[in-house]
Amino acid sequence: MGRIRNRRMVSIILVLIISIVMAGCQSTNQASPDTTKESATTDKANTEKTLTISWPKDIGPLNPHQYTPNEFFAQGMYYEPLIGYGEGGKLVPKLAESWDISEDGKVYTFHLRKNVKFTDGSDFDANVVQKNFDTILANKDMHSWLGVISQIEKTKVIDANTFAVTLKNRYYPALQEFAVVRPLRFLGAAGFPDDGNTAESIKSPITTGPWVLSEYQKDKVAVFTRNDNYWGTKPKINKLIVKVIPDGEARVLALEKGDIDLIYGEGVISLDSFVALRDSGKFETSISDAVASRALIVNTAKGPFADLNVRLALQHAVNKTALVDGVTNGVEKVADTIISSNFPYANVGLKPYDYNVETAKSLLDAAGWKLPEGKDVREKDGKKLEIEMVYMGPDQVEQPMAAAIQSDLKQVGINLKLTGLERELRNKRMETADFDLLFWGTYGAPYDPHNFVSTNYEPGYGIFESQQGLSMKDELHQQMKDVLLTTDETERQKLYTSIFTTLHEQAVYLPISYLTNIAVYPNYVKDLKFPAHRDETPFDTLDIQK
Amino acid sequence: MSKYLLRRVLTMVPVLLGASFVCFLLLRLTPVDPAKAYLSVSNIIPTEETLRAVREQLGLDRPFWSQYVHWLWQLCQLDFGVSFFTKLPVASEVAARLPVTAMLAFSSLAIALIVSIPLGIAAALRKNRAMDHISRVLAFLGASVPQFWLAYLLIYFMAVKMDWFPLQGADTWIHYVLPSITLAFALIATYSRLLRRGLLECLEQPFVLYANARGLRSFTVIGRHVLRHAIRPVVTAAGMNLGKLFAGTVIVEQIFAMPGMGGFFLEAVFHRDYPVIQGYVLIMAFVFILGSLTADMIQAYLDPRLRQSMGKEG
Amino acid sequence: MGVIRNIQWIVGRQRVTTVIPVVLLLIIVLAGIFAPLLAPNDPNFVDLSHKLQGPSPQFPLGTDQLGRCLLSRLLYGTQVSLSLALLIVTACVSIGLVIGSLAGYTGGKVDGIIMRICDAILAIPSLILAISLIAIWGAGWKQMAIALIIVQSVYYTRFIRGMVVNLKQQTYVVAARIMGTSPVRMVTRHIIPNLLPSLFIVVTLEIGWVIMDISALSFLGLGVQAPTPEWGAMINEGKTFIRSHPRLIIAPGVIILCVVALLNIIGETLGDKNGKAIPMRKAAKHSNKLKGGQHEREGNHS
Repeated sequence: MGRIRNRRMVSIILVLIISIVMAGCQSTNQASPDTTKESATTDKANTEKTLTISWPKDIGPLNPHQYTPNEFFAQGMYYEPLIGYGEGGKLVPKLAESWDISEDGKVYTFHLRKNVKFTDGSDFDANVVQKNFDTILANKDMHSWLGVISQIEKTKVIDANTFAVTLKNRYYPALQEFAVVRPLRFLGAAGFPDDGNTAESIKSPITTGPWVLSEYQKDKVAVFTRNDNYWGTKPKINKLIVKVIPDGEARVLALEKGDIDLIYGEGVISLDSFVALRDSGKFETSISDAVASRALIVNTAKGPFADLNVRLALQHAVNKTALVDGVTNGVEKVADTIISSNFPYANVGLKPYDYNVETAKSLLDAAGWKLPEGKDVREKDGKKLEIEMVYMGPDQVEQPMAAAIQSDLKQVGINLKLTGLERELRNKRMETADFDLLFWGTYGAPYDPHNFVSTNYEPGYGIFESQQGLSMKDELHQQMKDVLLTTDETERQKLYTSIFTTLHEQAVYLPISYLTNIAVYPNYVKDLKFPAHRDETPFDTLDIQK
Repeated sequence: MSKYLLRRVLTMVPVLLGASFVCFLLLRLTPVDPAKAYLSVSNIIPTEETLRAVREQLGLDRPFWSQYVHWLWQLCQLDFGVSFFTKLPVASEVAARLPVTAMLAFSSLAIALIVSIPLGIAAALRKNRAMDHISRVLAFLGASVPQFWLAYLLIYFMAVKMDWFPLQGADTWIHYVLPSITLAFALIATYSRLLRRGLLECLEQPFVLYANARGLRSFTVIGRHVLRHAIRPVVTAAGMNLGKLFAGTVIVEQIFAMPGMGGFFLEAVFHRDYPVIQGYVLIMAFVFILGSLTADMIQAYLDPRLRQSMGKEG
Repeated sequence: MGVIRNIQWIVGRQRVTTVIPVVLLLIIVLAGIFAPLLAPNDPNFVDLSHKLQGPSPQFPLGTDQLGRCLLSRLLYGTQVSLSLALLIVTACVSIGLVIGSLAGYTGGKVDGIIMRICDAILAIPSLILAISLIAIWGAGWKQMAIALIIVQSVYYTRFIRGMVVNLKQQTYVVAARIMGTSPVRMVTRHIIPNLLPSLFIVVTLEIGWVIMDISALSFLGLGVQAPTPEWGAMINEGKTFIRSHPRLIIAPGVIILCVVALLNIIGETLGDKNGKAIPMRKAAKHSNKLKGGQHEREGNHS
């Protein structure tokens, strides 16, 4: 019981602090008329600019260094990284104005932006950066999925505005990884619990970001107000209301009734509803560039797929266009390569495999899998061509896609057995490479392609294990290790080109589609621009003009 | 009376203890290592060290019986453990969602009683006439309609086609109408038939015949004397149903996207959030036992003979 | 809607006419058995160019969101649901017969322990316990079947034990015992045959409930997995299309309703014929979720 009471106390304190902070913000606002001088009319309009959105889940405690139950999007819009992830993977300054990398590629020195204040008025400086790094590194296990965390040897405050991170080894994606949503974002010093460890909880969400949490009812609503002291371009709207609506259909209804102004995200409404809204003509709909990939991992280590010809036959046998359009109504985009060409280093000009049942059939014939007279499943040495595909059972997209692929493969004489499992059991099958085909997704921007290659060469995920049937596997995996250590851009591109080419030619993945973020909104919402980062949101750039 | 009550409560203790053991056993039957499940929902890569740390933290490294006793002891302090997924105490998580579920369960029960009592009376009084047939058909439908399908029918006709009710959510009382009807439907069938049978049996009792002979109006007879007896099977059924009713909320909350305990439980099932699953199952067992206890109490109140005998005892 | 009229007709005149529901049920069962011959299309063949089409000569009930023939899926679904329900009920009856007659016949400590275990399990609502068991083992039809068997056989055990205790006191059984008949022979020769009529009625009703449980669990994504054409799973797959294509939800539900209603009618009329053979089941009959309660009450009084 003690625990519960503690929580309650924490939330009361939280509310108190927030309201004090809010009061503080408002008074500074009134006290400095210069900032509001620019244009009285726009300012007046601004006061009425409220954007209401919905999210399937509660935003969580807004702890920048924690995972569930924090929602990615909320942490992403609320806290800021040292480096931002821009279009095409270009790295842009955020809280760090600039950065240098030492000759040996191990020491990263960040020149922090000056005159940045947290919402409680405290300064953003190297000491608070150190404080954040301390707690993150104290909980290394929690964050070990992120390569750079386990590479950090030490961190150092050089002066108030200079901060250095030393890595154990060269690791080029370090910079990209400083852009991720969690855990490398910064909480104000007063937000830390007394022991300085944020693994369990924080005192209050103090940020440098463009928004301040001003009202919060768990599982119901969260209200963010524009941070008028924000160092960067201030949002055009001044209030953002996030309503928790768990169900997709209810979200659609809320938009139709005008209760919310925007539906945004990945898989937030059913694909059928998206099309219905688009075709209604009442709303603007848009789809972002590829943010991640959906693919099948082909297990080369055992069974029929040990044979390259069978793998190639698979590439030609699946009608991806019909599959992706049919199941996702065009919300996802057909994928020809495992990593979309809009990702860094991924535009290497690979030739897509075309959908061609005849090619697939002749490849299978060449592999020795012949279709006996009067039967519909191919055989070789008296064994039927049977393949097992593992997918996430309850998934609303994987499940119908699996059924469609089953029918496609039937056309060429392959009997596909579908095994829909819930997450844990599917993960178990993946880790032990106990599958022929497995539905899988990449991490997406900003993690790829470097994260993709590390999941390929590191044993334990099941991907490395599934590539054991490749004759050039050692060379391939060595290239993957090397590429992460490169400091030279051309060398890096060369290695990536080679890696992507091998993966493509060896057909170890069947790329299916690229995931996208969607947005549906009435026409008074303007300037909606999708961020390149998968988990970030467009709320600080869009505008409302009623 | 209090002695009787105490005795009834005491008989519940071993049952609850048994149920808690069943809950505890659940975790032992899993093919997935709970420590691994914990790491997986926490986004931590399972390694030898992290697994050992979590096992220690969750007490999984201790012997079976010691774990059970420890778990029971924590339960006695209302500590159901911490959710793997939300990282908050299960007790407070469930408590936060209880109002929605309780409201749903009780409004269903209320609707069921409000509809089935007049229906049952009408069916009994007009035996084998239109009303009786209607209630009989309703009873068959109630027993044969899948709850989740009924929910979608209501959504389609009442919310999508007619737009009389909101599709989903639990913000205002109007959100509770369709889910409550869904849950009440099967109950109406049971209760009205039980009441009808009870009434028919009672109406043939000598005291009713006597009252009728005395010229009391049938309305008074029914209201004052007969109903009191005839409603007893309904009370028992309602008490017994409480646990089942809460269970039915799992499906209904899921369909109507209500932020209640049932939906939370189902989410926990898909996340393999074992502490939540265990806690919820145990709470359901408690609700079930409480329901039958309450029914017994009301039963005792309704039956003067039982009341008297208890009075002598106590 | 013809079925409902039938219900009214049969039930309306208290005259027991089992023929019509039995014939109707038989038609459905045969349709399931001969699904491969009757179904116009392959139930699992996805053709996305045909998706969400209305009824046509090629697809008599139209197609679903993946262009699969709805009628064919419903027909094959009959196979899935009925065979699974039969499997589960048979297993439950077998377990119930063994443990129930053991407890009832032996009495004493063994009976006490078995009944206490049953009490503990019965204290947890059956659907919740089934879901929890599936949560532990992972979703899938096998796990669902095992979970339902575990949960349901407790009811059978109690039911059969109660009947055995009753029968044990019958004069002919007492007589046989005095004559030195062995316990096993006693149970198999004298007790079980006497249980069968009421057991048959219970099983008829129970199959209906099990079908509903199967469809509910599959609907939640815990039981039979898509793309297997199970009725509950079909409703789950079709639920996002409720606004545009309600028939994807309505059609499978109507079938479940028909099958369960027919089984209920048959069970009820059989029960009426046999007088009050199963009094304690009577009240439970109208609610699929009341089973535990009735047994619990019986347990308290015994």
